[in-house]
Amino acid sequence: MGLGFIVGVFGVLILSHAAYSTIQYRGLLKIMEEEFSGPPMNVVLELLLGFVFCIWAALTVPGNFHSIHPDSEENRIVSLSANLDFMIFNHRAKAFPLEIEMKLKH
Amino acid sequence: MVSKTEETQLNRLENQVDNGGGGTWEYICLVRKLKVRRSDKVLKHGLSILNDPKKRSALGPEEWTLYEQVAIAAMDCQCLDVAKDCIKVLQKKFPESKRVGRLEGMLLEAKGSWAEAEKAYSSLLEDNPLDQVIHRRRVAMAKAQGNISGAIEWLNKYLEIFMADHDAWRELAEIYLSLQMYKQAAFCYEELILSQPTVPLYHLAYADTMNSPYNNNGSRSAKKVLYTLAGLENLLTAKKYYASTVDLTGGKNTRALLGICLCTSAIAQLSKGKNKEDKESPELQSLAATALEKDYKQRASDKLSLLTSALRSLKI
Repeated sequence: MGLGFIVGVFGVLILSHAAYSTIQYRGLLKIMEEEFSGPPMNVVLELLLGFVFCIWAALTVPGNFHSIHPDSEENRIVSLSANLDFMIFNHRAKAFPLEIEMKLKH
Repeated sequence: MVSKTEETQLNRLENQVDNGGGGTWEYICLVRKLKVRRSDKVLKHGLSILNDPKKRSALGPEEWTLYEQVAIAAMDCQCLDVAKDCIKVLQKKFPESKRVGRLEGMLLEAKGSWAEAEKAYSSLLEDNPLDQVIHRRRVAMAKAQGNISGAIEWLNKYLEIFMADHDAWRELAEIYLSLQMYKQAAFCYEELILSQPTVPLYHLAYADTMNSPYNNNGSRSAKKVLYTLAGLENLLTAKKYYASTVDLTGGKNTRALLGICLCTSAIAQLSKGKNKEDKESPELQSLAATALEKDYKQRASDKLSLLTSALRSLKI
């Protein structure tokens, strides 16, 4: 979780640096009075790198995804809970007391 | 509801705890969360935690929940002194508590003093007439005394007030099944399927009820045609619900697969005389049989021959 977090922060920093360089580049073009056709190559590379880092962090930081299939091992119901509110105490196990004497010692 | 991963986790923890490895507190928490009834193990391991002052203080405020859980487990295992001691400790910490009052009522029930337990519950109900758990305990008490019709009456009255209570509907269905009143049990299961349609076990239980031979009991002595017709309808419904169980569990429920095979052969037998066109494709039975054989080969290969002979006799 720590590594994913750091990578995510790093990715955001790279993206913001790419944005800053693009703005500076546009300012430079305005001075030189040329058309803004697109950001320079290294900014595009930086953008792609930042994108990859952010996506990787977004998938790893939240942890394991839950399954949505009703018949996956995680969701498949194998038995119902034992309805403990309606439990009765005079069942046949009364005839088999526990061998070890249990006591609460205080 | 216990899912497959939770069941494997529970069994693993149980093995670990029984063989002396740690993890007692996780096991007890898992048992409480899944609401399974493992009273002897909870009692043994809960007492081992409670009798050790270091472990007890490590629990913090959860200590009291553990006392309650151990008290109920002790009542289930008939160690009434342990239960009384736990309740005494809880009473000292929480005097005038309804939850502790409920535990005292349960202790009286476990001792067998029904009248006093009834008095205790009625006094608790006076203060709080809409306490679901006390109503349920009254039903359980009627059941424990053997007064099944009284239990049914109480439960029906309870369900008139609390109509959305799944556990109560399930309890009522099971009581009706024990009395072989299959139509009423089917009604209860229908309610359960309506409110929780994604739980495959209700579909399975409903299909089992529809499949039962006594379900056609309405007019056994009367017209033969009516009996046969009633049987066929219910068998078709049962087949549909077995199929929906197979759908919801991804084919991993052996009982539903066997149910499909049985239903198909029974339907074929019943409609032999009639001139029904074959709208049901025979694929369902053969697919279910194949799935069953694969499952048995994987899990119980020595019983595979039994299965194949049984399936062969069904196909005739």
